[in-house]
Amino acid sequence: MFSLNNNVELRRVTISSLITCIYLPSIITVISYKGLLYSVGNASSCYVLFLIFVAELMKSFYLNSNNDLQNKRKTSKTTPSDIAKATIFLIAAMFSFFIGIILFGAPVLEYHEETLMLSTVLTLLTLFPLIAHTGVESAVQLLFGVRSFSRDTIIAMLVNNALLTVCGAWLGAVVIPLDWNTPWQKWPIPCYLGAIGGYLISNVLTVTKVTMMSEAAKYPIFKLGINIINRLHISK
Amino acid sequence: MLPWVQHRWTSLWLVVAALGSLCLFLYGFFPLKYHSGNLAHMDDLPNFIEGVSIDGHEVYNPGQNTVILMVIDGLRYDFVTEEYMPFTGEIIKNKSACIYVSVAEPPTVTMPRIKSPERKKEKAQWRRTINFWRDIFAMMTGSVSTFADVALNFGAPAVQGDSVLRVAKSRGLRTILYGDDTWLRLFPGLWTETDGTTSFFVTDYTEVDNNVTRHLDKVLTPDDKNKPNFDFLVLHYLGLDHIGHLEGARSPKIKPKLIEMDEVIKKIYYAMQQWDSVGTLIVCGDHGMRDAGGHGGASPSEVLVPLVVIRSKDFKCPYPSGPGPTVSQVDVAPTISWLLNCPLPGDSVGVILPSLMPRDVRQNLYLLHVQASQIAKLISTDTEMYKQYKRAANQFANYLSTGHESAAKIAKEFYEESLHGMAQHFTETTTEFDMFAIIIATVCLYLITISLLCIALYSLQRDQKTNIIPHHHHRSNASTMVAFAVIYTIISSVMVTTCFITETKSQFCSFKPLWCVAFMAMAMTITAVYFIIKNCIENIKDLTSLRSLNAIDYLLIIGTLFHAWSFFGTSFIEEEHMTWYFLWNTLMLVVLLKTIAVIVIYVGKKWSGSTEVQDKPDLEYRMCAVGIIIVPQWIMLIALHRYLRTMNQTGDRWLFLPDTADWLNAPENSFYLELHCIIGTFLTFMICMVNLKHMNNIMQMHSALTVVGFGCVLTYRMATGSITSLITKSIDPVIIVNIFWGILISQFIFEIVSYIGVSKFSNKFGYIKPKEKSEVPFYVDPWCVDDVKLNLANSLSHIMYNDMMMIIVLLMRPHNVIMVPSIHLTCKLTSVCLDHRLLDSRVKKTEIADLLSKTLVHLWIGMLFFFYQGNSNSLASVDLGSGYVGLREYSAVRVALRMGLHAYAGPALAGASLFCLLSSHSNNWQQYLNSVWRVINIFALQRVYQLVIYCVISVIFRHHLFVWTVFSPKLLYDFVATVFSVQSLSTIGQIVLITHSTSWLARLCTRK
Repeated sequence: MFSLNNNVELRRVTISSLITCIYLPSIITVISYKGLLYSVGNASSCYVLFLIFVAELMKSFYLNSNNDLQNKRKTSKTTPSDIAKATIFLIAAMFSFFIGIILFGAPVLEYHEETLMLSTVLTLLTLFPLIAHTGVESAVQLLFGVRSFSRDTIIAMLVNNALLTVCGAWLGAVVIPLDWNTPWQKWPIPCYLGAIGGYLISNVLTVTKVTMMSEAAKYPIFKLGINIINRLHISK
Repeated sequence: MLPWVQHRWTSLWLVVAALGSLCLFLYGFFPLKYHSGNLAHMDDLPNFIEGVSIDGHEVYNPGQNTVILMVIDGLRYDFVTEEYMPFTGEIIKNKSACIYVSVAEPPTVTMPRIKSPERKKEKAQWRRTINFWRDIFAMMTGSVSTFADVALNFGAPAVQGDSVLRVAKSRGLRTILYGDDTWLRLFPGLWTETDGTTSFFVTDYTEVDNNVTRHLDKVLTPDDKNKPNFDFLVLHYLGLDHIGHLEGARSPKIKPKLIEMDEVIKKIYYAMQQWDSVGTLIVCGDHGMRDAGGHGGASPSEVLVPLVVIRSKDFKCPYPSGPGPTVSQVDVAPTISWLLNCPLPGDSVGVILPSLMPRDVRQNLYLLHVQASQIAKLISTDTEMYKQYKRAANQFANYLSTGHESAAKIAKEFYEESLHGMAQHFTETTTEFDMFAIIIATVCLYLITISLLCIALYSLQRDQKTNIIPHHHHRSNASTMVAFAVIYTIISSVMVTTCFITETKSQFCSFKPLWCVAFMAMAMTITAVYFIIKNCIENIKDLTSLRSLNAIDYLLIIGTLFHAWSFFGTSFIEEEHMTWYFLWNTLMLVVLLKTIAVIVIYVGKKWSGSTEVQDKPDLEYRMCAVGIIIVPQWIMLIALHRYLRTMNQTGDRWLFLPDTADWLNAPENSFYLELHCIIGTFLTFMICMVNLKHMNNIMQMHSALTVVGFGCVLTYRMATGSITSLITKSIDPVIIVNIFWGILISQFIFEIVSYIGVSKFSNKFGYIKPKEKSEVPFYVDPWCVDDVKLNLANSLSHIMYNDMMMIIVLLMRPHNVIMVPSIHLTCKLTSVCLDHRLLDSRVKKTEIADLLSKTLVHLWIGMLFFFYQGNSNSLASVDLGSGYVGLREYSAVRVALRMGLHAYAGPALAGASLFCLLSSHSNNWQQYLNSVWRVINIFALQRVYQLVIYCVISVIFRHHLFVWTVFSPKLLYDFVATVFSVQSLSTIGQIVLITHSTSWLARLCTRK
């Protein structure tokens, strides 16, 4: 999926993944150290979402930045109407996540706050980076599979991140029925942490893969690892 | 032997064989304990010891005694110290009380969390009863109970045999209970005075105990003659356990609670000093608790419980200070019986607590003799302990006639030895599983699974005809027989050798006539399985059809495989519905995404220019079958499933959350309940009418019968009051239901008769082609037997499906009626959406992959609705009410059939729908038979696969503490499911059989 041809893009992908690998664990560590890990479902933990939002925004600025000289294509200036469109789209996406989660079995009449927090974090980790990178129209096209993304390294990474995030949230639900009676089995903590875990794992895989690719010439054994990771990535 | 593999019903026979193995497994797993059922009498006390006479009544009498049994739930061994319970600790220290260690078998107790409606309380009550059953049963009857006792007492968990309370009542003693009302359920009608407390709410840990203690002052006050006004008092305190559940064993609330308990003991102790009669207080816990709270593990803090004996007079503990000797729970029963001067309960295998044994040598020996003789009745006479008992009895007789002290000493030693041996023997025989039978059954199940896997893979090959190698047919039958006989001999001799090598005591190896038959059948099955596997492996050559599986198929296969393994976690058994909901949601989401992707591509192409669509005719073809409408339909289906999921809370942990059924059943919402009921019935009616188009001729007749049938259903609902009406209250529901049965039967008969061609109505299909159609001049065979057979099979499947829907609508609870049309809708939509031609871009021959995915998805739907309906893997969720629909009196078979069909409504309807789908989608008879064959193989494979995994799991966890409450009920459910699989597979067999016989009859009738 990734090619070594476009070194600039590859470097950006690696660095942004590395940043994620650093900032997300730091947030989690800090809030668990503060003893707030089990309150991520409450609205009081909005600051976590805000931190993620800022970090993702910075990352997307970095990914979009136009500092290399060969590639001087004119990027369209971001207009306020674009931002408004993106905001509306994100809110719509958030509510569709919300409804989707409820259809998947979240409580209907209660825990709305918790479900909303989960859907917000899912939106932030999946759709927000995509939109920030490509804009609303292309994101919609990508979403419905109209446009192919296989040639674009950055979009491939973003889509992978999104898929693994959703898978993580999905797998997180497995522990809920267990009778361990632990505080972290409360809705929506397993799914919330699962989503973050999935996102993190996806980024770690990206970094590992790029490292292996650059070293594959020296150590052929890494090719096997690259193949394994390629298999792990869910391609559409 | 290849014909076996190719034979259509081999998998049916294999499932029957699996059912047989499962029976053997269950036999080994649930040892049916011998309950003599004899009730003890004072007259049973022996008056002669080996010919020497002794006055039994006089010697036995322990004097005037009053017994108080104080059960403190969750009292673990290290709580009874001076630190926690100062008074008790002190009297143990100065030897006026005695402490024993008893090993409890802690049950699993789940407490409801919030206020729940009545119907759920019943479920919880049942669960609690089972939980306390083992302890109370052991303490009161003196014998160890098995799961079979619980399962056979299903619905009415009263103790049938003899117990302390029974003998006390027969002696006219006053027995009083203050505490948990489970005691009342176990021993109904045996108490003189009771005040049962229901302790549902774990958060309540003061009120439950105050309800017990508030009577103490009154009851402990002796009457005018300084005698207490009771003989046997049971106090059951639950508060400690509740605190343990809430906050753990290190909670600061534990200590005040224990001090409160200590105060109670102190109060009883001083009250007992005032009495003339000797008071005995036995304090015991029924299980311990973990430090973290709760219980259910096997750690010492959970299973070691104290048993404290306190007497008011004339008592000195003979043991040195320390933890005290170990006793078993069954010892409580004979102790209390004897103290109350009652005979020992009939099935008691316990011994009287040694510290309470009288010091008088004659009485002591006599008591030992009574206990030993009672237990000795149950064991064979040629064992060492029986001989020891005889020797002891001789010595006792010797002592009685001569009065030598040495004889008494020897007798005592012998008695104790023999009692010890016998107690050991009983714990071994009642708690040990018949491992040999279990292992043989599991191995057999495993082999059957392998063979079914082989057959299923064989049947999934593309074209069957090419695989038949001609020389197989020419191989003589004789050589096959010889090969079979040789393998059979080898396998049975191997089994016999295993029997002798392992020196097992299993009944399976006892070689009694009946067991010999089972033994031979087992060997026969294994031989047959061997040949099937061998032939399949030789003949599986072409599995290319499996290449057309797509992601959804893999999800279905992996989900089915994974589900069986998930049972390694007890929570996943209790909350099995969660697994299914999870898998089903995933499936629905994946299908939704796939469908949207296809539709978006289609719409995009159509938008950008119609030429491209013409370039891809297959896309057009794929789309025209469904249309864009499929996506909103599918989303509606997801929403419907979300709604159905809230209908009944099931499982264990969230059982007590309020659900839609509770809301609907509330009296103020009766309108909505009726609406659900009527809408469900009406939709089912519509579906039935639509299904009628698959039937032969006399449409009007069938329509009329269906209308009348649904009229009956509605009238029944009105008569039973679930739909309000003014007129029909007076109609007897039983008559309506009888009319209903009549209609169903007549519908079926009409169909057969119309095919035979007896009736002169205009048939849609007939054996003789209509003349005007065969205008071709040359001779046409007027017999189109195969077409008609297919049509008959088609209409029979649909009649079966219709009838089943109607019966289930009749049996369902009003709020669940909506499930029936939902199942149909789900089956219809999924079979449209799971079509490989729709989802996969490459259109190839996909019938086989289609069949595989459809079979699996129908199995999933069946299980899903099984849980939607409110069933779970606990025996408490079986709806007993549905068994009595339209019945005036109890009839075991009918009630069982109704209950079974009601409980397994989901799987049954989904299966019937699958077979309807097969018959209506087949183009010719041969194709129909082939697809039925494949489906049956997959069906059987799934069933037996799940069974064998679960059997292995239950063997591994056979000593797990949840074995009664979680593993064993699930095993029974699996057993019933297997019985139903056999039934459903044979129904399809019957349909094919009827088809054949009808065509034969038609030939007979019309060839004139």
